[in-house]
Amino acid sequence: MTRVGLIANPAAGRDIRRLTGGASVVDNYAKRRVAECVLEGLAVVTEPPDVAVMPDRSGIADHAVSEAPDDLAVERVEMTVEESAADTRRAAARFRESADAVVVLGGDGTTRDVALEIGDVPLVSVSTGTNNVVPTPVDGTVAGAAAAAVATGAADADAVTDRHGRIDVRADDVNGEKRLTGLAAVEITDRSFVGTRAVIDPSELVGGVVSRAHPSDIGLGSVAGCLEPLAPDALGGVALRLDDPEATARSVSAIVAPGMTATIGVTERDRLEWDEPATFDVSDVVVGADGERELEVVDATVEMTPTADGPRLVDADAALGAAVEAGALVREGPLLEER
Amino acid sequence: MADYTLETEEGRREALRRMLTIREFDSTAGDYFADGEIPGFVHLYIGEEAVGVGACAALEPDDYIASTHRGHGHCIAKGLDPKLMMAELFGKQDGYCNGKGGSMHIADVDSGMLGANGIVGAGPPLATGAALSIDYDDREQVAVGFLGDGAVAQGQVHEAINLAATWDLPAVFVVENNRYGEGTPVEEQHNVDDLSDTAGAYDIPGVTVDGMDVTAVAEAVEEARKRARDGDGPTIVEAETYRYRGHYEGDEQPYRDEDEIEKWKEQDPIDRFSELLVDRGELTEEELKELRDEIEAEIEEAVEYAQDAPLPDPSEAYEDMFAEMPPEIERFASQARADGGSLGGDRR
Amino acid sequence: MTAQAEIERAEETEAMTVREAIRMGLREELERDEDVYLMGEDVGKFGGVLEVTSGLWEEFGDERVRDTPISEAGFIGAATGAAATGTRPVAELMFSDFMGVSMEQIMNQMAKMRYMFGGKTEMPVTVRTTEGGGMGAASQHSGTVHAWIAHFPGLKAVAPGTAAAAKGLTKAAVRSDDPVFVFENKMIYEQQGEVPTDEEFTVPLGEAAVEREGEDVTVVATQRLVGESLQTADSLADDVSVEVIDVRSLYPLDTETIADSVRKTGRLVVADESPLSYGVHAEIVSRVQEEAFFSLDAPIQRIGTPDTHMPFSPPLEQEVLPDGDDVREAIELIT
Repeated sequence: MTRVGLIANPAAGRDIRRLTGGASVVDNYAKRRVAECVLEGLAVVTEPPDVAVMPDRSGIADHAVSEAPDDLAVERVEMTVEESAADTRRAAARFRESADAVVVLGGDGTTRDVALEIGDVPLVSVSTGTNNVVPTPVDGTVAGAAAAAVATGAADADAVTDRHGRIDVRADDVNGEKRLTGLAAVEITDRSFVGTRAVIDPSELVGGVVSRAHPSDIGLGSVAGCLEPLAPDALGGVALRLDDPEATARSVSAIVAPGMTATIGVTERDRLEWDEPATFDVSDVVVGADGERELEVVDATVEMTPTADGPRLVDADAALGAAVEAGALVREGPLLEER
Repeated sequence: MADYTLETEEGRREALRRMLTIREFDSTAGDYFADGEIPGFVHLYIGEEAVGVGACAALEPDDYIASTHRGHGHCIAKGLDPKLMMAELFGKQDGYCNGKGGSMHIADVDSGMLGANGIVGAGPPLATGAALSIDYDDREQVAVGFLGDGAVAQGQVHEAINLAATWDLPAVFVVENNRYGEGTPVEEQHNVDDLSDTAGAYDIPGVTVDGMDVTAVAEAVEEARKRARDGDGPTIVEAETYRYRGHYEGDEQPYRDEDEIEKWKEQDPIDRFSELLVDRGELTEEELKELRDEIEAEIEEAVEYAQDAPLPDPSEAYEDMFAEMPPEIERFASQARADGGSLGGDRR
Repeated sequence: MTAQAEIERAEETEAMTVREAIRMGLREELERDEDVYLMGEDVGKFGGVLEVTSGLWEEFGDERVRDTPISEAGFIGAATGAAATGTRPVAELMFSDFMGVSMEQIMNQMAKMRYMFGGKTEMPVTVRTTEGGGMGAASQHSGTVHAWIAHFPGLKAVAPGTAAAAKGLTKAAVRSDDPVFVFENKMIYEQQGEVPTDEEFTVPLGEAAVEREGEDVTVVATQRLVGESLQTADSLADDVSVEVIDVRSLYPLDTETIADSVRKTGRLVVADESPLSYGVHAEIVSRVQEEAFFSLDAPIQRIGTPDTHMPFSPPLEQEVLPDGDDVREAIELIT
């Protein structure tokens, strides 16, 4: 029997970027509806996979189980719920062993948490977060159908997935070694505190490394992409050092957060190979990943290294196209004379 | 400039001092209430210090706040004097309200404090009103309405936020979600998961932040304040926090267990912030201890002040009903004054 | 002072309706004090559902004549908060029957803040509202609830019976630093009277007015029943000399003017449209027996709504609505 995992992060899409920028509000009512669509989509193939859903305290999983189509076997993953990112990671670790494909509802932060644990299981990432560089704004039903196609083998996983990169961060400061991983970008801000997580003020960005670059890759990826795009599955990454646009020879107009554009001065841009680190000497900064501030670092050298170990992301259109070729969406009725 | 801001080392030290002061004030108030020296009842803010202090750190001194029944923390965060607060709790003439308000009604409108409030959900309409005055007079202030999670279910809260949003008034509504409305869990009182989700109904932003992190609260309220001052109207900031004590002192709390409380204490806002400052080298363990000792002494002094302060004369009961005392009250007031308090309580 | 003397003292008067008198009072206060503004449901462009504020929005703009959502708790609460923070709102509650919606803010905030805070706030808020049956508006738009407010500590309440009182009390309410409720009986908006045009004319809170001097019986009336009692007095003039007092201010209440009159006439009829039990009548009767017990020559009579709601159908409404005939019967009973 094939199996698809579903992870819907109740905490996605509710941070301060709703206030500082133009991030859309994704409330849990909306997430429940998307989860419902995913299950409906999973049932589209002839022999739908079993479904395991990450439990939560916001009723998303409960709703999914109770509203699931009749012919779909849906269960909650047996695990403790902490109402934190640890839930997402724990569920992903389970799915690494037990699922043939995983659908994740969240933003870059949620997808990163899944990616850290999911290994090679193909991932369909649906944007319900604030920052959505990696996840795609695909309809939940389509995402479910694509996951079903991959999980049941109707679509060849190798043919319809791309391997995303990731960036590993290591910092040694007075309080010891700190580590962090980003998918699309890791960035340094010269604000001293991790408060509401989101990077609030683009002028605070001092640099970082991206694994992909395009003007549409909101955040540091957009800054890098304004100079030279780098495809998500391209080799290596790009390191950037930034400054006040008044103080630099070159600056770019980038999309730094949902609803927020800024002119950013670029002092240096370096193309990095896989496993080639970029280092930054810092005094009092916060290091973030994918637009969320994470680590406070004082007087340290920060090392940022792009690696080829990111998640395998399913291209939903390609997966459904492959399913058509495999005939997985056609049901032959009984011949007329047999009726 | 704000009284204190988390952007400077000095301001961060002040924020820590105020959080510690709130905790010391409230645990002391709890003790004296248990001993019977404080009449009535008290609702303590212990555990929620990061919310009041974070929010007030984002405000200017002449901004207004409207508080809740759990108001001691807001008072201290806004800069009210613990001595006069304690005197009020003890029912003394020197208290903020001359002994007529007590724990649940401490106010000092000149300091921007529109009062603690015994009615759940009554603060937001007052904050909307203060924002109306600000807007009407083209002043540079904002008004912050604090409310608990329980108050989100109140009709007048909806009316207040709707009015402020419709008129783009310079208001901020800070929802202190401490997980329980009196004894009932928040999940059993609201259908939305994040209380900030209600913002969508008013077409204003709503954010949910870690209410055990003073920096996170301050950042959100600062952004909300900017928005309010820019003429873009109110914002709902939900701070997820936890009260360590019962709804009121003496609440036996059958609705939760010790494990849950302990788990939240691991996120203690004061420990988190002081550890951060120590980690950053802004504060030594020794200085932290000195600060704690200093505050302990300050609150001890507040208690002594309150204990030594005179009780109000019974004639005080007739004061402050109106700007202009009507004859209906005057006849009792003059009698009480004539009695010099010796016949306190006699009505004729 | 008698009302006549008040009018005569005024240098200039003009005949106008109660509605126009209130509007004149509001306009003058808006002109006099920039801190004053009006707010309420449809008080602006619409001009007020009973047209009291008609024209003021055009004159003063939408900052100073503000249409609110249908949100009594919200805007009465906002008026309370605004009064505490430096402005002087005048809120209109379209029908006093809607007061219940905003009662929390009235009773626990507006009325109590100054006291609970030991005087550490101001509360210069005015609430105007309409009362009274007689237009077939049924129970939820015809109530007379002023006894609630007059009863509740921390609030002041006035209820004009003449056009002059309507202007003077409105202005006094706006100028007062205390919360004052102005109860306007909607059936007398068209009632005419001489009104002083002086912009400084006010009727002090706590002063009743003798509208008609008499020797045999005192009728203490409010609102619509002032005019009806005056008509009754005129019709009885050949047989009995009736003194008519307009209470004007329910709280504070001018005990002295009423007691003085009873000392002179020895007989009293109290006429107020609110329900009879536990209300305005009881208060006036109590004060008279405290102050002038030994001057009374007959049992005091009360005219009011007989503890029913205001019914819809005209014959039912007329049955319970107190009027000049009820006052006449009461006078005839004790003279």
